[in-house]
Amino acid sequence: MSFTRWVAIYGPTYATALVWTAITALAAACGAIVWGCLLLLIRLSGGRWGARAVDGYVQLFRNTPVLLPIYLIYFAFPLIGLPWPAVVCGTLALILQNGAYVSEILRGSVNAIDRVQFDAARSIGLAPWSTFQKIVLPQVLVYSIPALGNQIVLLLKDTSLLSAISITELTMQAKLLTEQTGAAYEAFIVVAVLYLLLVSGTEVAFRVTHRAVRWL
Amino acid sequence: MPAGSLALLTQGAMVSLLLAAGAIAGGTLLAILLAAMAFSRLAAVRVVYRVYVYIVRGTPLLVLALILFYAMPALDLRTGPYIAGTLVLIIYTGALFAEVFRGGVLAIPRPQWESARSLGLPPLAMFRKIVVPLVTRYTLPSYVNVCVMTVKASSVLSIISVWELTLAAREIIERTFAVFTILGLAAAFYFVMCFGIDRLGRRLERHLALRGFAGVRA
Repeated sequence: MSFTRWVAIYGPTYATALVWTAITALAAACGAIVWGCLLLLIRLSGGRWGARAVDGYVQLFRNTPVLLPIYLIYFAFPLIGLPWPAVVCGTLALILQNGAYVSEILRGSVNAIDRVQFDAARSIGLAPWSTFQKIVLPQVLVYSIPALGNQIVLLLKDTSLLSAISITELTMQAKLLTEQTGAAYEAFIVVAVLYLLLVSGTEVAFRVTHRAVRWL
Repeated sequence: MPAGSLALLTQGAMVSLLLAAGAIAGGTLLAILLAAMAFSRLAAVRVVYRVYVYIVRGTPLLVLALILFYAMPALDLRTGPYIAGTLVLIIYTGALFAEVFRGGVLAIPRPQWESARSLGLPPLAMFRKIVVPLVTRYTLPSYVNVCVMTVKASSVLSIISVWELTLAAREIIERTFAVFTILGLAAAFYFVMCFGIDRLGRRLERHLALRGFAGVRA
């Protein structure tokens, strides 16, 4: 079957799957950035034990594959009385994993802030929370845009692993189409191209944002 | 803990480690070739390199694995999941290592090239005496990082039915429902492997550090 006919027939199916990939990736990206900021806050102002706990968390997630938290939440939540849909479980796992990486990225950027600013914040009487929210966070996020972009691209590609817990995103759709039609080549080439477009789009978006906010 | 699961997980971890070791060895060789292509005089060769890296880094590993797994039998190249799995890991890590090496070559200070040329070093000696020692030291941290990523990435192969640590864990869970124990143990195995590689890398870094040479991280 030619590619044009293939796309004409199965285009709508791919579109639905594409929407699922985009939604999970977007939700997980937003969640991971928020969670990463929270972890950073705990590390910066949670005292010695707070910093240690965040360190342990980050080390644990950096040294284990993403599939483990995905399986953990998917298999374990029903056992503890939380029968959440697979999409929610998968997104949550991606947030937990990528939040660890995001907090490390943000921590690297904290060092780029001039020490004087912390003294200045204290001398005008800003509370720790206000200092974090008004001074640290905006600068750290802007400094981190390129690295965050890389991480979001990795996250986007990791949404393909959600096919393992039966979410019909792009990869799962390609698998299903292969099983239905026996045409593996067409099914997967289309999906690979869609991923390449998504990844390139994300990279461009982050580059444009980086250029737009280079006021620091 | 369900009986016998520790032995199964240990075996799975061994397979994971073997897969990663094969991928790291093969990927490094592939990457040297690719990095050489990145610096080719021929624009067409450089374009091939760029396209390769773009495709491999822009598609999920799972999709690459499934393409190889499903599409290769369609092309009448029948391979078992282990061969297909190792191959896809090599393709994947090859691109990552190649980018690491390329960065390392670009980081070699200009005077090094100039003095090598003025000494009249032949190309092979230049490669052996200047490029290799410097690039090894420049890129070791990123290289180790990619090695750790490879161990973690090997878990993806469980989805194309390569029996390794993650698939072993999944099978035990489906039989016994001991989710927390088994996934906890699997995580511990991965942690030990990844953290171990990281520590080994740091040791090697210290071992290779050249005192007083600017640009080399001590």
